[in-house]
Amino acid sequence: MHVIVATDGSQASLVGARQFKWIADSREITDVTIVAVVSPYAAVPFANELGPQRNPGITELNFRQEANAAVEIVAAEFDGWGAEIHRQVRSGSPAQEIIRAAEDLDADLISMASGSRGLSRTILLGSTASRVQHSAPCPVLVCRPTPHSQRALG
Amino acid sequence: MFSLAVARLPYCGEMVTPAEPHVVQHAELKRSITAKQLYFYVVGDVLGSGIYVLVGLVAAAVGGAFWMAFLVGVSIATITGLAYAELVTKYPQAAGASLYINKAFRSPVLTFFITICMLSANMAAVGSLAAGFVRYFSGLVGLPADAVWATTIIALVFVALITTINLIGITESVVANVVMTFIEVSGLIIIVLIGVIALVEGVNDPAVLLQFNAEGGAGSSVLAVLAGVSLAFFAMTGFENAANVAEETIEPSRAFPRALIGGMLTAGVVYVLVSISAALAVPIGDLAGKTLLEVIRADIFFVPATVMLVVFGLIAMIAISNTTLVTVVAQSRILFGMARENVVPALFAKIHPTRRSPYVALLFGAAIVCALLVIGATIRSSQAELPAEQQLDIVDRLATITVVFLLFIYALVIVACLKLRGTDETVDTYRANTPLLIIGILGNLTVLAYTLIDDPAALLWVAGLLTVGLVLYLVQNFFGKKPRSPGAEGSPGAVTLPPASKEL
Repeated sequence: MHVIVATDGSQASLVGARQFKWIADSREITDVTIVAVVSPYAAVPFANELGPQRNPGITELNFRQEANAAVEIVAAEFDGWGAEIHRQVRSGSPAQEIIRAAEDLDADLISMASGSRGLSRTILLGSTASRVQHSAPCPVLVCRPTPHSQRALG
Repeated sequence: MFSLAVARLPYCGEMVTPAEPHVVQHAELKRSITAKQLYFYVVGDVLGSGIYVLVGLVAAAVGGAFWMAFLVGVSIATITGLAYAELVTKYPQAAGASLYINKAFRSPVLTFFITICMLSANMAAVGSLAAGFVRYFSGLVGLPADAVWATTIIALVFVALITTINLIGITESVVANVVMTFIEVSGLIIIVLIGVIALVEGVNDPAVLLQFNAEGGAGSSVLAVLAGVSLAFFAMTGFENAANVAEETIEPSRAFPRALIGGMLTAGVVYVLVSISAALAVPIGDLAGKTLLEVIRADIFFVPATVMLVVFGLIAMIAISNTTLVTVVAQSRILFGMARENVVPALFAKIHPTRRSPYVALLFGAAIVCALLVIGATIRSSQAELPAEQQLDIVDRLATITVVFLLFIYALVIVACLKLRGTDETVDTYRANTPLLIIGILGNLTVLAYTLIDDPAALLWVAGLLTVGLVLYLVQNFFGKKPRSPGAEGSPGAVTLPPASKEL
C-alpha cells in the first residue's frame, strides 16, 4: 500500500502525520511519499513552521528549501517505521498537485491535516483538504487536531 | 511505479538534512510555470496597472501626441526588462531586485534600502490603483469626482476587499490569471476598435496625433513628452513581479527572456494603439484628467454607449483589481521575506494556520495604503478653495511616488546587470545588448530627474514611506531577537521531535 502524506509546513500537518501513523498499520504500508506543494502565485509560496527555524541571510529566503525542510521533518517521523520513504516537492495549486501526486504514484491513500480548531478557522475552512477529498483518486484521511494531539505537540 | 523517484536522484543535492540510509534520497521539485503562463502573467500584470488609470493624466500632460509618452515609457521599461531577463537566468530566485543588488554590490545597507524602496513602491502603487478603481466606480454609479471623502471611503473598502481576498489566498489559480488577462485585453481591444471606427469616420483629424500641449519649439515638445513619460511609466510597472515566480518557471533561461520581453512588447503595442485610438475618438480636452470611459461615452461603437459604459467599466475594474491583487501579493511577500531574514520584526512572518497567508504583513500593508489614501483625502479637502488643477490628484501623486522608487531601482538593476557580467554565467545565460542597457540607465535616470524636478513635493511622500521602513528596522534592532547563525538551535515555538510512538 502506498500512502501520500501531505504537509504544508504547518504544525497541524505534523500532528496529522503522527495521527496517521497511530491509525495505520505499518505492516500494510510499503511506501510513504511525503508531498509538499510550493504555490508560486501565493503571497508566501511555502512557509515552513516545523523544526528549528533557519535564518536565511539577506535575500536568501528560498521557498523550495523551505518546502524541502518541511518534507524532511515529516519524513523523519517515519524513520524506522518500516515503509520505504519518498519525498516530493511539487509546484502549483496545492489541492490539484496533491491529487496529481496520488495519480502519478498510483497511491492508495492520501493523509492530510485540515487546519486547526477555533472559530476563525472554522469559518475559513481548510479548502485544500476539502478540495482533495472532493476529487482524489483514492481514499483520503483528513486528520483533525484534537485537544489531545495539540497537547502532545507541546 | 518508483522509476520516477530513481530518475530524479540528481536533485538530492538540495537535501537539507541527511536522511536515514534506507530512505530514498530525493526531494524533487516539479516546476510548474510554463513560458506561456509566464507571458500571460506579465501581460496581465502590466496591462492592468497604468493605461486604465492614467490615460487621462498622460493626455493632459502631453496633448494629442501622448501616445509618444507611452512609446518612450514602454521602450525604457522593456530595456530594463532585458536586464531583468539576464539576471533572472543567472539567479532564478524569488527575491528580484534586492537579490541582484545584493549580488552586485554586497552591501547589506544598500540591499535593505532597495528592499524598502520596492516595498514603498508597491504600497504607493496599490494606493494609486485603488484611487483609479474609484474613478471607474464613480463613473458607473454617477458619483461626483469632488466628493472627496465618499470616494476615499470607496477606495478604502476596495483595499479592504483586495486584502481579504489575499488573506483567504484564492489568487493562486493559474487559470484565473489567464482569464483575467483576457478580460483586461478585451477592454483595450474595444478601445482600439473604437479608434479604427473613429479614423474611418474621420471623427478627429489624425493631425491631432502630432499635437503637443506646449508652446514654442521642439524643445518644449520634448519636455511635454517627458512629462507624459514620467506618468506613463507607471503603466509599465509590474513586470518586475515576474521575477517572483522565477524559481517555479520551467527552463527559466529559455522561458524568461521570451515571456518577459514578449509580454512587455505586447503591452507596449496595446498601449500605443489604445492611446492613438483615444486621441482619435475624443477631443483631448475631454480626455484630460479623465478615464477611458470618455472614449466609450463618445458613442461611436456598434453597441450603444449606455450598455458599453457598464461593460467597459466592469472590465476596467476587473483589470485594476487583478493588478492590485498581484501588487499586494508582492508587497506582503517582501515584508514576509524581510521578517524571515530578521531585518524587520518577526511578527510580519506570521502565517495564518489554515489559509497559509502572511496575515500580519497583509494587514500592515493595507494599513499603510489606507493611511496614504486618508492623508491624500485630508490634503485634498483642505484645498477646496484652490482651483481644480492646483488640487492634489491622489492617483497622480501616488503613481508619481511609485515611479520615483521604481525608476531608481530599475536604473540600479541595470547597473547591477552590467556589474555582474562575467560572473555566474553559464551557456544558458541570456545576454542583453550592452549599448541598449546603457541607454536604459540614462533613460531611467532622465525620467527620474524630470519627475523630481517637476513634482518635488512627491519627495515628502517618498521620505514618509522610507521612514516606515526605517522605523520597522529600528524596532527590530532595538527590541527584536538577535539574528541566530544558521543551524543554531530552534526558536521557542519550534517543534522538538519526540521519538515516534503511539502516544498521540
